Amino acid sequence: MRAGGIDPRRGMTMRNLLVLLLLTALGIAPAVVLSVNKPVRMAYLQNDIHHLALWVALEKGFFAHEKVDVEISGIFRAGPEVMTAFAAGGLDMAYVGEAPATTAVANKACRVVVVAQVNTEGSALVVATGNAGIGKLSDLGGKTVAIPGHSTVQDFLLKKALKKEGVDLSRVNVIVLKPPEMINALRTAEIDAFIAWEPYPSQAATMGLGRKLATSRQMWSGHPCCVLVCDSVFLDANLERVRGVIRAHVRATAFIREHPEEAVRIGVKYTGMHAETVRTAMDTVHYTHELNIEGEKEYVQFLSELNYIRVESPQYFIEQFIDGEPLKSVTQK
Amino acid sequence: MKGKRLLSPIIFIVCWQILTLAEIIPAFKLPSPAQVLLGLRDLIQLGMPPGHPLLYHILYSLERVFWGYSVAVLIAVPLGIAMGWSQKIRDVVEPLVELIRPIPPLAWIPIAILWFGIGGTAAGFIIFLGAFFPVLLNTAAGVLAIDAILIEAARALNARGRDIFFKVLVPGSVPSIITGMRIGIGIGWMTLVAAEFTGVKQGYGLGYMIMTARDIQRPDEIIAGMLVIGIIGLGIDSCLRLLERRLIRWR
Amino acid sequence: MALSLELVDLTKVFTASGPRDSISVFEKLNCRIEKGEFVSIVGPSGCGKTTLLRVIAGLEQASDGKVFLDGTSIDGRDPRVGLIFQEYALFPWRKTLENIETGLEFGGIPKKERRGAAMEYIRNFGLAGFENKYPKELSGGMKQRVAIARTLITNPEVVLMDEPFGSLDSQTRNDMQQFLLDVWQRRRDTILFVTHNVDEAVYLSDRILVLSRRPTKILKAVEATLPRPRDRTSPESNHIRRIILSLLSTSVMQ
Repeated sequence: MRAGGIDPRRGMTMRNLLVLLLLTALGIAPAVVLSVNKPVRMAYLQNDIHHLALWVALEKGFFAHEKVDVEISGIFRAGPEVMTAFAAGGLDMAYVGEAPATTAVANKACRVVVVAQVNTEGSALVVATGNAGIGKLSDLGGKTVAIPGHSTVQDFLLKKALKKEGVDLSRVNVIVLKPPEMINALRTAEIDAFIAWEPYPSQAATMGLGRKLATSRQMWSGHPCCVLVCDSVFLDANLERVRGVIRAHVRATAFIREHPEEAVRIGVKYTGMHAETVRTAMDTVHYTHELNIEGEKEYVQFLSELNYIRVESPQYFIEQFIDGEPLKSVTQK
Repeated sequence: MKGKRLLSPIIFIVCWQILTLAEIIPAFKLPSPAQVLLGLRDLIQLGMPPGHPLLYHILYSLERVFWGYSVAVLIAVPLGIAMGWSQKIRDVVEPLVELIRPIPPLAWIPIAILWFGIGGTAAGFIIFLGAFFPVLLNTAAGVLAIDAILIEAARALNARGRDIFFKVLVPGSVPSIITGMRIGIGIGWMTLVAAEFTGVKQGYGLGYMIMTARDIQRPDEIIAGMLVIGIIGLGIDSCLRLLERRLIRWR
Repeated sequence: MALSLELVDLTKVFTASGPRDSISVFEKLNCRIEKGEFVSIVGPSGCGKTTLLRVIAGLEQASDGKVFLDGTSIDGRDPRVGLIFQEYALFPWRKTLENIETGLEFGGIPKKERRGAAMEYIRNFGLAGFENKYPKELSGGMKQRVAIARTLITNPEVVLMDEPFGSLDSQTRNDMQQFLLDVWQRRRDTILFVTHNVDEAVYLSDRILVLSRRPTKILKAVEATLPRPRDRTSPESNHIRRIILSLLSTSVMQ
């Protein structure tokens, strides 16, 4: 301690604090993107046949037709990772499962809104072919089932179906694997079953490793699955471009229905799987752009029951979460 | 003395709280210390994923580390002593070690899954790899560092080869062995989180817990989990330090 | 008197890379040491005194010549030859008691017996109260006493000592010389004692072998048949000292 003047130790602590604050301020957060000249950054899930509309739109040049420049900024292994990318400011729009999107927004990880539906149904629970012990869903008690991630649509479907069958959730060993790993784990009998988006269930069937015990339609008929989401800040600043993307999406969704064989070809290109597998996979998926509010209510309620999210007012949440205006303005031309 | 050392972490936490209160960093990127504490409470009471409480994650992770580390020590210590003892053994083992050691344990994950499947064994294997090399190399160095004159003194007292090995090399290299063990457990514990990315079949593990918190977008629980890992790592090291002090009173 | 140790034409050559690099340490050393004799070896630095002891102890191999112990030639390490190192070489992780009993432990003597034997040495060597201390807690003089006890407990035929008091201060050194004499006079071991301190050699020994520079030979064996305890400054001691010093100085001049 020196006599007279500030205690140099205290002075240094203040200085350290200011330096810390300064560095933090500099290191932070993405500037609001003046996105006029930059392409729209989009993402989809690896080998997820639900996102076929996006692939069709890319291949057929639908985005270019709307004069919107689109760039694929990421191909992710599961929904929650897409949401983390939004949180980090790395994406503008994405095709992603409604469950992980709901979870992320409810837990305030990021602010996105749902602007269009992508598909309903289109997942399946697969058990190993040799596993005769599992004849129906209620046989899953005490077994090991793989999901692509917590709070994914598949996680949701599995638990909802099990609850409906009266199976005690704590008795089922639910583990997380990425879909490509699921097929292998089924082969080596480390898991008894898995639930994943198409085309993985169809691939397991084609390879003779598994059989579909239940499709997601059987678990929850007409359930909404993937949605087209948009970062809310981006939406406010780029309404016209977002509308262009939605228009392309609607057109691509119709294209799949009208030109199934060409759609299969595009599906083969983006998944690398056989045409037969892709065709079978597509059969279980219902491609539609129409928003499903009722389905989202189910998501919010059950995710709350699972304690993944805590939402004070589900009604208010859904109103904020789903924005039907851009879609309406595009389809009511 | 100890009070002074607490000053730095306290200042750090205060800065952190201010940064988040002032919303200089948004909450979802960096939860405040208060939120992290609440997240910790959720981990303990609610669990992550819900229904999987923190305590079980800790126990499963400790078990995995215990196995991976024990195997590493059981193989590395005798092999290290042999390496220090014999030039011939060094000539055989060293080139392999130098080749394999630089490969990060994490790079072994795909192979580990292939060999051991998903689950604790694969994770234990990754931890084994992390712990093995520091223990091996420190042990060998410890033997080599034993003053040659002590070996000669033993020979002058009519020691046979076995006597020199067990009564001179082993006790003489204990300090280095323990140093290696401390480094090894540190690395082994650090590899834990990544090791559990192999997908743990048992559904429990601190790394798995953090991954799930990421999936459900709970950064407060992610950080709380990280802190738990850090504190346990500190605890383990302190235990080894105590062991070191007891075993090496002759230094 | 019975013959204990005999060196016949003992030669040591260090060969480096080529024949021209070889260093002849000592050549054709011959000497005979009787049982119970206290013989010192003095010589200039680098003349191979330590190497000679190591060869006799079997830690190094002779290039030529032979070492006879009790009439039979020994080749390499023989348990009847004990060696006490200049640096004590105590095992730092062993307590005093454990250090002393090491030789017996290697010899397979059961614990109870060797403990008893070691405790006797502790009492006789003034180490009582220090049996559970580690070497780092002992003074230089104590450490050397432990080292001596550690070797003597194995009852070697010949005790080789390599400048054992070299690192001690002069007071402790004198005390240790006295201590060694007391021990030796009780036990009458055959001792071969290397030192570069001529006074020490004169004070302790029956005979002093004076070595030349390399290639080392025995210049002369000087008898020191003075009664003990000796007066370090007596005319007889001085006389012997003068002989040795002049031998050493002429050796240096060459």
